[in-house]
Amino acid sequence: MTQDVKVKAPRKRKNASLDKRKARAGWIFVLPFVLGFLLVYLPIIIDSIIYSFSEVVPPTTSGMRTSFVFVGWENYKYALLVSPDYVQTLLSGLQSMIVDIPMILIFSLFMAVLLNQKMAGRAVFRAIFFIPVILSTGLMETINAQNTLSEYMGSSSGIDDGSGESTASELVSALDMQKLFGNMAVGQGLVDYVTNAINNIFDIVNRSGVQMLIFLTGLQSISPAIYESVQIDGASAWETFWKITFPMISPMILVNAVYTIIDSFTTDSNVVMKYIGEAYVSEGSTVSSAMAWIYFLIVLGIIALVAGIISSYVFYQKRDA
Amino acid sequence: MNAQNIDNKPKVQKETKNRIKVEFDRTPLKERLKAKFLSVFFLKKVVWYVFRLVLLVGISYIVLFPFFSQVAGSFMASDDFIDATVRLIPKNFTLDIYKAIWTENHYLESFANTLLLSLVTALIQTFICCLVAYGLAKFKFKGNGIVFLAVIFSLAIPHQTLQLAIVQNFYDFDILGIFHFLNGSGIDLYGFKYTNEALSSIDLIAKSDLFPFKTGGMNLLNSYWPFIIMSLGGIAFKNGLYIFMLRQFFRGVPDELEESAYIDGSGVMRTFFTIILPLSIPMMITVFLFAFSWQWMDDFYTGLFFDTQANLMSNLWRTIPESLKIDYPGQNFYYAAIRNTAGIMIIIPLVIMYLFCQRYLVQGIERSGLTAD
Repeated sequence: MTQDVKVKAPRKRKNASLDKRKARAGWIFVLPFVLGFLLVYLPIIIDSIIYSFSEVVPPTTSGMRTSFVFVGWENYKYALLVSPDYVQTLLSGLQSMIVDIPMILIFSLFMAVLLNQKMAGRAVFRAIFFIPVILSTGLMETINAQNTLSEYMGSSSGIDDGSGESTASELVSALDMQKLFGNMAVGQGLVDYVTNAINNIFDIVNRSGVQMLIFLTGLQSISPAIYESVQIDGASAWETFWKITFPMISPMILVNAVYTIIDSFTTDSNVVMKYIGEAYVSEGSTVSSAMAWIYFLIVLGIIALVAGIISSYVFYQKRDA
Repeated sequence: MNAQNIDNKPKVQKETKNRIKVEFDRTPLKERLKAKFLSVFFLKKVVWYVFRLVLLVGISYIVLFPFFSQVAGSFMASDDFIDATVRLIPKNFTLDIYKAIWTENHYLESFANTLLLSLVTALIQTFICCLVAYGLAKFKFKGNGIVFLAVIFSLAIPHQTLQLAIVQNFYDFDILGIFHFLNGSGIDLYGFKYTNEALSSIDLIAKSDLFPFKTGGMNLLNSYWPFIIMSLGGIAFKNGLYIFMLRQFFRGVPDELEESAYIDGSGVMRTFFTIILPLSIPMMITVFLFAFSWQWMDDFYTGLFFDTQANLMSNLWRTIPESLKIDYPGQNFYYAAIRNTAGIMIIIPLVIMYLFCQRYLVQGIERSGLTAD
């Protein structure tokens, strides 16, 4: 032990080692995911990319496995140029996605604001509205898609209930809506949009459960003091919504927009995903994985675009340090 | 209010020893009611109340109607489906469909199998996601951002894109080529082939018969292992979302809590297990509920990893019980009703769970303070 060690040196070293120790602890915490991602998930992703560039060779002798032969861009060329409906399905799928996302966002925000108000039976309504989050996923979606019965049973009530074709029993006929909006001169596009929204209400309600939860969280995190002060200043409910609530939950709008895009293109009911699933059987697994990658890249581009546009309008409340 | 009430002195009406009855000049009841109920403010409130109620009840109806119609159909006898007068209320009430699914589609076995699968995966996923999320939320280390991006990537990539590769990888499961190497088949790392001469000369029994070794790797299909492995790695269905939710929650936990624990000499792990985890139990219950019910309702991964004969909830609706198979004009409707009944029997356990736990579901999310930053 030497005496001429400076006072600051050990402390510095100790600090550094604490930081290092914490960094190491951080790695230990995320280790399961890192291992899972690198050892299991990444090989799957790489394999999937490789498959999209190759062709299946069925086993010639017994005991041999199915093998894959590299064919370059053939699958992508096939998907984009030869395959009869892929490009059309892709375009219509993207179109419906662009139509659906604002609808789901507006609806879930509206419902969240409504469910956030104090009223009798709020807990019951909340419980009902979140049922689809749990019960209308995966398996039930598959069963409901084959439910020919509900159309028959619901034909007296005439509500779209997820059974697919409901043209004969639409809740609101396009003609009625057009009559209503015709005099308002709001344009054919908007009329179609609203009509479409009402006729797909079941779909929209079912798909906006998680978004509603996220918006509710956002609404509850807004400090009541802000509302109190604007009320004292004499703001109306309308002004309060647009000047306070809307900016304060704009971060949630970003989260929800991204979540909705991801959710809407990963569900089985998505037209493009359905088409890819059918192509898996009809045109070969490698072609379908090429199609899936094309779709994924396009959607990734859309997510980046939407996130870029919305995030430039997002308002972050500066936290007091 | 009125002119005669201006000098508003209370008049003593009756006086006893203990009590004084005084009469005020109050505004008459009629006037008060008028002022209260005939204002624009009140009208607005009523209109808004009615509008809101109609809207909420209407949308609740839309959410619940499919379940009503499915429940109604499940009690009908086959004749009811060709009877035009029967809509929602069964004429010949019967429990045949339930009984047939209970016995012929092995409901109890499916229930037990799926319960085990969902419980195990949900418990593992909750724990692993907590660990990862805590690491991402509270520690600054090189690569934190990259790991978080990987989490979001794993959430964003649609599983359909990967289905072929997932099946192939778990059919021939291997980590870093270890199993291939041990089995003497050599490692094939994207073009570079390494063989293990010494082992390949020994004829291992394990190669085909005793163990499910097929081509050197392990065939994990038709077992729970793919689910467990994916859960352990935090890459199972929607785990990215759970990690994201928990990360936001942990970021809301004040740092001072851990700092004081560190000062008192508690290690990082001990702090996590004795202070942070007990604190986050409501949030963990939320994640557990999500993981459990999404695994319960999952038919994509169970469809990939199990064949359609496996006794699982996801296969319960696939086959029409033999005793119910009949050929008549209403067959399509009847079979749809049978499938719906299977669907009801699948979700009943979840509904019961939801009734008890739904407050955790909403509260937990509210507590997470999910924000975008």
